[in-house]
Amino acid sequence: MNGKRVNFFALFWGVAALLYFFVPLYGTFDFSLRMERGVLGFKAYELVFADPRFWQGFRYSITMAVITIGISVSMFVPTVYWMYLKVPKARPVMDVITILPFIIPSIVLVFGLIRTFSRPPLQLTLRPWTTDILIVAGYIIISMPYMFRAVDVGMRSIDVRTLTEAAQSLGSSWFEVLKDIIIPNLRLAILGGALISFATVMGELILADFLVRPALGPYMVQMGLTKAYEPAALAIISYSLTWFSLGLLQFFSNRSEGQKQYVIEE
Amino acid sequence: MTHLELTHIKKSYGSTVAVEDFSITVEQGEFVSFLGPSGCGKTTTLRMVAGFELPNSGTIKLNSNDLTFIPPNQRNVGMVFQSYALFPNMTVSQNVGYGLKIAKKKKPEINARVEEMLALIHMERFATRFPYQLSGGQQQRVALARALAIQPEILLLDEPLSALDAKIRLELRQEIRRIQQKLGITTIYVTHDQEEALSLSDRIVVMSHGKIEQIGTPFETYNFPKTRFVANFVGSLNTAEVEVVNPKQGTMNMNGILLEASEGLDGKSKGDNVMVAIRPERFSFASEGKKENVLDCQIENITFLGSVVRIQIRIGNAKFNMDTFNRPSLELPKIGDRAQVTCSRKAVLILSD
Repeated sequence: MNGKRVNFFALFWGVAALLYFFVPLYGTFDFSLRMERGVLGFKAYELVFADPRFWQGFRYSITMAVITIGISVSMFVPTVYWMYLKVPKARPVMDVITILPFIIPSIVLVFGLIRTFSRPPLQLTLRPWTTDILIVAGYIIISMPYMFRAVDVGMRSIDVRTLTEAAQSLGSSWFEVLKDIIIPNLRLAILGGALISFATVMGELILADFLVRPALGPYMVQMGLTKAYEPAALAIISYSLTWFSLGLLQFFSNRSEGQKQYVIEE
Repeated sequence: MTHLELTHIKKSYGSTVAVEDFSITVEQGEFVSFLGPSGCGKTTTLRMVAGFELPNSGTIKLNSNDLTFIPPNQRNVGMVFQSYALFPNMTVSQNVGYGLKIAKKKKPEINARVEEMLALIHMERFATRFPYQLSGGQQQRVALARALAIQPEILLLDEPLSALDAKIRLELRQEIRRIQQKLGITTIYVTHDQEEALSLSDRIVVMSHGKIEQIGTPFETYNFPKTRFVANFVGSLNTAEVEVVNPKQGTMNMNGILLEASEGLDGKSKGDNVMVAIRPERFSFASEGKKENVLDCQIENITFLGSVVRIQIRIGNAKFNMDTFNRPSLELPKIGDRAQVTCSRKAVLILSD
């Protein structure tokens, strides 16, 4: 009987939250389809996809996202592993450090980067590829809270210390432990961190705008200054990318859980 | 032949001393248990043998080679953990073969060894299963096979049965001993369970507060505890403080009741206070003709413990427990009855501090 009782309070807030989220999104989507008078169609999307600047921004952002994820993973996995193994007391400190990008606005970060690296001895803003180094460094910092937490949760789900000791007693070096035991068991956590970082980088505006790089974020803003329907289409495309990332995450985590549905036989 | 030798090992964490002046030699193929309560330093000592902890002083030698500061992955020591520590991303056979893969053995050799190990633990059918598809007992069997697959010089087991239920624990205990004897591998076993230590070991090292209290065979440890701690920790025990009457004759006075011991009073003088201990099972109801330590008592309580009946008796002012087998023919007294109990002179143990 209890299971069938409807919790009206929960239902009310659930519906309110859905409306709050979906109504503006639906409004944007609907608006993006009304470029041609009196007709619902994908004209705005066609124009966006036909614009070479969109593809340039898309390619650039994807490239930067992949590099960011690669460096973040290779930096955070060994660091968090080391922290768990050797300095577990440093965890609260890491918690504070990794939450800083939420507290310090991106604008402060980008001005800091520009002021520090636009003058000797490390003048990185002179060439596009050196500016890209700066932008990747910025992206790593912005995505740090997500990546750290994802890896941290993954590490918490396994007995890092005992697994490491078990592998060492079988002759493994540190590198082999990380490669054969720790990383394979953190696959899902790393994937989660990577996909959220990907979504963050793909929609990032401030860093790319101030460092004058052709990323997707600044392109969307520039479109918004002169066009009406295309920015709405771009917003929907951007949302779709994020959802696609989250969907992938959900798919892999469900698959991993599904694998564990076996009967234990004595 | 001495296989493993620990000499004057000391380990401290800040001002806390975990292990102090720990020395032991273990023979090839011997099964030695470190027994003691939580925090007595038994696991720390084992971890120093494995290389996961470094001693502050002292040496650890295996086959006369100094291992003290050798990293754990270069010691060729197999370790089984309380929490199994199977690699979740690997199947049973991959787990068992992992050490051999790391040692860069050829695939046919690895496969043959894995099959051999799975046959040893009777788990051939489970080769392709993942750890989460196995019960606790099965996981610990695989962990044992994994540790043995690399043909280690020495096998270390850190409370391997603690996380298992009673029935599986008993089965696996016998399995561990069978495999150890079959392979003749030198084994160090850490446990706080006296029954495990007594049933498995060739020798037991009883530890307390980081120090060795006694090293001996299970028979010696149980029947002739050297210290009050060992006597209390290994098996249940009755203790009482008595006054020495005649050290040569082994007579003592327990609140006006005369008690005799066969040995242990050397160096004691008349009037000295000593602590005596008597195991509950060494008491029996006195029959006619018994002359050693015949004591008047009153029955205070009777408790059935399955195969054993525990009778609480009062001798003078002191309360003692007496254990007797639960036979169908057993005629038990009633609570409040007066009776006579006896124990041999040998059963009266004189304890040092």
